[in-house]
Amino acid sequence: MNRWFAVSACDAVPPGHVAYTQLLGQELVLWRSAAGVLNAWENRCPHRGVRLTLGSCVGEELRCQYHAWRFASGSGQCTHIPSHPQQKPASTIRAQVFPLCEDGSFAWVNLTRDALPSPHPAASLDTALRSIFARAPVAAVRQVLLQGYGGHSVGLGDEFTLSVPDQKLQFMLQPVTEAQTIIHARLRGDLNAAERMTIFRHHNALLSVARDQAEAAA
Amino acid sequence: MNASQPIESVLWDDWHPVAELVQLQRTGISGTMLLGVPLTLTLAADGAVSATGAPQGTLVPMPHVQIRYGLVWLCLGTPARDIVDFPETREPDRVVCTGGSVAVAVSGLRAVENFLDLGHLAFVHAGYLGEEPHTEICAYKVEPLAEGGILATQCRVYQPRPSPMESQGFEVDYIYAVRRPYVVVLFKANPVEKERMDMIALLAQPVTEERCIAHVLMAYPPHNVDVASLRWFQQLIFGQDRPILENQVPKRLPLDPRSEISVRADSSSAHYRRWLSAVGVRYGAVPAAAA
Repeated sequence: MNRWFAVSACDAVPPGHVAYTQLLGQELVLWRSAAGVLNAWENRCPHRGVRLTLGSCVGEELRCQYHAWRFASGSGQCTHIPSHPQQKPASTIRAQVFPLCEDGSFAWVNLTRDALPSPHPAASLDTALRSIFARAPVAAVRQVLLQGYGGHSVGLGDEFTLSVPDQKLQFMLQPVTEAQTIIHARLRGDLNAAERMTIFRHHNALLSVARDQAEAAA
Repeated sequence: MNASQPIESVLWDDWHPVAELVQLQRTGISGTMLLGVPLTLTLAADGAVSATGAPQGTLVPMPHVQIRYGLVWLCLGTPARDIVDFPETREPDRVVCTGGSVAVAVSGLRAVENFLDLGHLAFVHAGYLGEEPHTEICAYKVEPLAEGGILATQCRVYQPRPSPMESQGFEVDYIYAVRRPYVVVLFKANPVEKERMDMIALLAQPVTEERCIAHVLMAYPPHNVDVASLRWFQQLIFGQDRPILENQVPKRLPLDPRSEISVRADSSSAHYRRWLSAVGVRYGAVPAAAA
């Protein structure tokens, strides 16, 4: 499916961090190099199929836990095979890389290999709320949110994006599998530091209710 | 596996380990599964073992069950050959024991391939069977075995702690023999006797296509060896492999050479996969697409 999906808040994957997620049933390893480049790869070493989320970030490379093969941030190209340390790995040996972009608050992934860069503009003033996992399909989550959220009416952006009418609050639905969804949400604009915690708790409670309702309906 | 497709004779009509005897002795009765068939094993007071199962849908006594090498063996079909032979276990001075049986959520073929694998020793078993910077795998020889299977010789790896008896590292010579699709034997140079080798066999019980129970059989020349240490060491090592094995995707072993990239160090694995294809093993594998 050639479209972009939010898969994580940017600050949930700091430099050196290796994280797991799934998009439309495709397992992904999300990892950020020491220099700050975020990568979304197929979660599978091309050598013997071990999940790369078991591996670790070493500078600008991700190292597989099984045979310590290293793959370069950005290209996915294999850079080092310890069982043949003197040889340069063939250019055909690479992790499968998916197109990724960050808009300042969220990371977006497209599972189409040659997808054009995302249309999402940088929006560095946005605040990411806590992403919440629901055992319910996207359609069920959307149905619940469209019935209203914390006294606001919610409008349909598209199949996977919804927002309140003044655009202050946006929801991005990540289809994990056909039966699972991660609800990402962000507030437009900067938050007053004094109110930050109260606002987070408020949305946390509302999102949890939405999750419970979607799971009950699913 | 397609339910309507019968399981290939090379597996169905062969003997497989289904229990470690010392474990069955503790409980007297145990449930297990072989090639998707649920089984109940019972140990009688006289030491005889019997089994019931439902290979054709109805529960019946299983005619082909026996104890050998400290393991219970069972054949679901009509035995086409005897239980795989381990001649070293008949050398009277060797210490022979099983090493414990561990359920692993992966195809037994993946477990066998991992046992054959040299390149992971310095990382997954760091401090025991390998360590950095000794990561290079020098060329070794792989050839077919006349009776079926493959033989890998001239394998050599630096090991800081090659066995529970050693506290000093040295370059260890390895020989591997894959004797059956789910059975692989490792011979390691013995530090005392140059002309004899330690024997460690991995026998994978194919529970389903994506689950196995790894049984271990060992036969060591009698130098500073005790059974408890051998079992402890094997379980330590296998405990390091298990999380790797359970994170392989797919859980079945891909036989198409294009599915996973192999390098020269993977020669034994590449030969193993080709041999499985040649003898028609599908259970626990992702067969290569028909050309």
